[in-house]
Amino acid sequence: MTSAILQAINGVSLAALLFLLASGFTLSFGLMRVVNMAHGAYYLLGGYVGLSVARATGSFALALLCGGLAVVVLGYLVDRFLIRRTGENHLAQVLLTVGVAFVIGDVALKIWGGDFLKVPVPVSLRGAMELPGGLVYPTYRFVLILFGAAVGALLWVVYRKTQIGAVVRAGVDDREQVSATGINVDRLFVMVSALASFLAGMAGVAGGAFLLLYPGAEWEILVYALVVVIVGGLGSLGGAMIGALVVGLLDAYGRWLLPEFSYFVLFAPMALLLLIRPRGISGKDV
Amino acid sequence: MDRTRIAVLLAVLAAGLALPFAAGPFWMGLVTQMYIFGLLALSTDLLLGHAGLFSLCHASFFAVAAYTTAILQVRYGVPTALAAPAGLFAGTLLAAVFGLAVRTRGVYFILVTLALGYVVWGVAHRWSSFTGGDNGVTDVPFPAVGPLAIGSHTGYYYLVLAVIVACALGYRVLVRSPFGLSLRGIKASESRMKSLGYRTGLHLYAAFVLSGALASLAGVLYVYYNRFVNPVAGSFPVSVEAVLMAIIGGTGTVVGPFLGAGVILGLRNWVSSFFELYAAVMGIVFVATVLWAPDGIMGLAARVRAARPRAVRA
Repeated sequence: MTSAILQAINGVSLAALLFLLASGFTLSFGLMRVVNMAHGAYYLLGGYVGLSVARATGSFALALLCGGLAVVVLGYLVDRFLIRRTGENHLAQVLLTVGVAFVIGDVALKIWGGDFLKVPVPVSLRGAMELPGGLVYPTYRFVLILFGAAVGALLWVVYRKTQIGAVVRAGVDDREQVSATGINVDRLFVMVSALASFLAGMAGVAGGAFLLLYPGAEWEILVYALVVVIVGGLGSLGGAMIGALVVGLLDAYGRWLLPEFSYFVLFAPMALLLLIRPRGISGKDV
Repeated sequence: MDRTRIAVLLAVLAAGLALPFAAGPFWMGLVTQMYIFGLLALSTDLLLGHAGLFSLCHASFFAVAAYTTAILQVRYGVPTALAAPAGLFAGTLLAAVFGLAVRTRGVYFILVTLALGYVVWGVAHRWSSFTGGDNGVTDVPFPAVGPLAIGSHTGYYYLVLAVIVACALGYRVLVRSPFGLSLRGIKASESRMKSLGYRTGLHLYAAFVLSGALASLAGVLYVYYNRFVNPVAGSFPVSVEAVLMAIIGGTGTVVGPFLGAGVILGLRNWVSSFFELYAAVMGIVFVATVLWAPDGIMGLAARVRAARPRAVRA
């Protein structure tokens, strides 16, 4: 029973991480109709930059910030000079961003090497803590859950309750109309895209502290994020939250109960969804 | 097909037949790979070039067929006459399951197939007691059916050449059949085909399974060439490179995917001989293709042909 609960907490902490990554992906699709397969590579790059910063300065907070900002800069350049030239051709976007991800992955391999690296966790978050009910759980992963929940809540408030959020929501529904009301849609795109990049880079630092960073990690994490998005529905923030929880929990129990087939567990929610609801839980027609 | 094209194709075929006499083992190996990966690229192009579906899971069918054949042949001593068809069947069966993905379109289809393909890689990678993990299955022998045994790389080269020529001819018949026409109709406008009474979902499903069968055949050819198979065969880069090959060569054509395979494999061999970051170079090829050559080599050739003034034909 105890391990079942511990696995549930494991699942939720992975969900927190996946949400950071998938929310950016789903928002940039929802608003800009951009499928960015380099999101996984952004995650890995953010993690590596954060690792170097954490090693140099010893500050985890600074690592999170720099990892995020490094990806914002790169993401802007990729958006501005490459993705924008593909128009709304998703096939071209996918191939192009896969190419970008290959370049990032290979250059990162050259700089940081092929070993499994771990972003050092600050001393205050090391070790384990006691949760109510006598459960002992790693402090860092528990804090990650709180962090993910906080980011989720913040995104939700901005998205639902503020003027900017309203404009973004309107943009998701009908871009031309928003543009016609005199709002600078281009600037909106740059902002949302920067937010998505920042979240991906930050997720890399946060994830690098317990999932480790290594060549190939970019595709593993991307696939998890994609399943989150498929389950939740493209373009929906609420869907990304639900999807992240579903995938995180399934993965945790899968790894625990069927270690050799843990990836196979991901197949189940997708197959079910394809049979019943191909657009995802809260997805719209695209 | 006009006479010059037939002449060109016959010349290419003659060159293919003569290659083992003129080239050393390196070139013969490279060309054999080009045939095999060209066939994989051709299988993805049945979906991309004709039905308009961008699949990112074809390495799964390729790998499952390769693994099935290898495991049966190496671990259970099953003869080629059974192991090869079993591989083909296993890959096609997987395609029949993954064919569920045709319930989605556009971006969803791309994402779903990517994730499905990843599941197969994950199983090959993790289920080490059966698949051999990262070491994979080694020591696959040359194929032998009864008294007919392949004993050398040259012999295998001719076998692969024969298979791909047969596949290319069959493929050409398929895409020119009413079935191929209806696929292109769906690509152009699915709603119109639906209103004409076509069961578009069923057509796409059939195309998906057929294309998976072709990818499986490439997988069987691959495992006897490579003599071993590991999870890399089913990994995402193989899937996406197959699509890139089809695009570089020219989608919707029969020859294009093979040309694209030649370009990609040749480039990788050449670049990796002197430059460490060859994966990055491949990434740049992806970007460059999308930005500057979306129609590929065959598209370029067609443009040149169209620009050339020519006599009115009777």
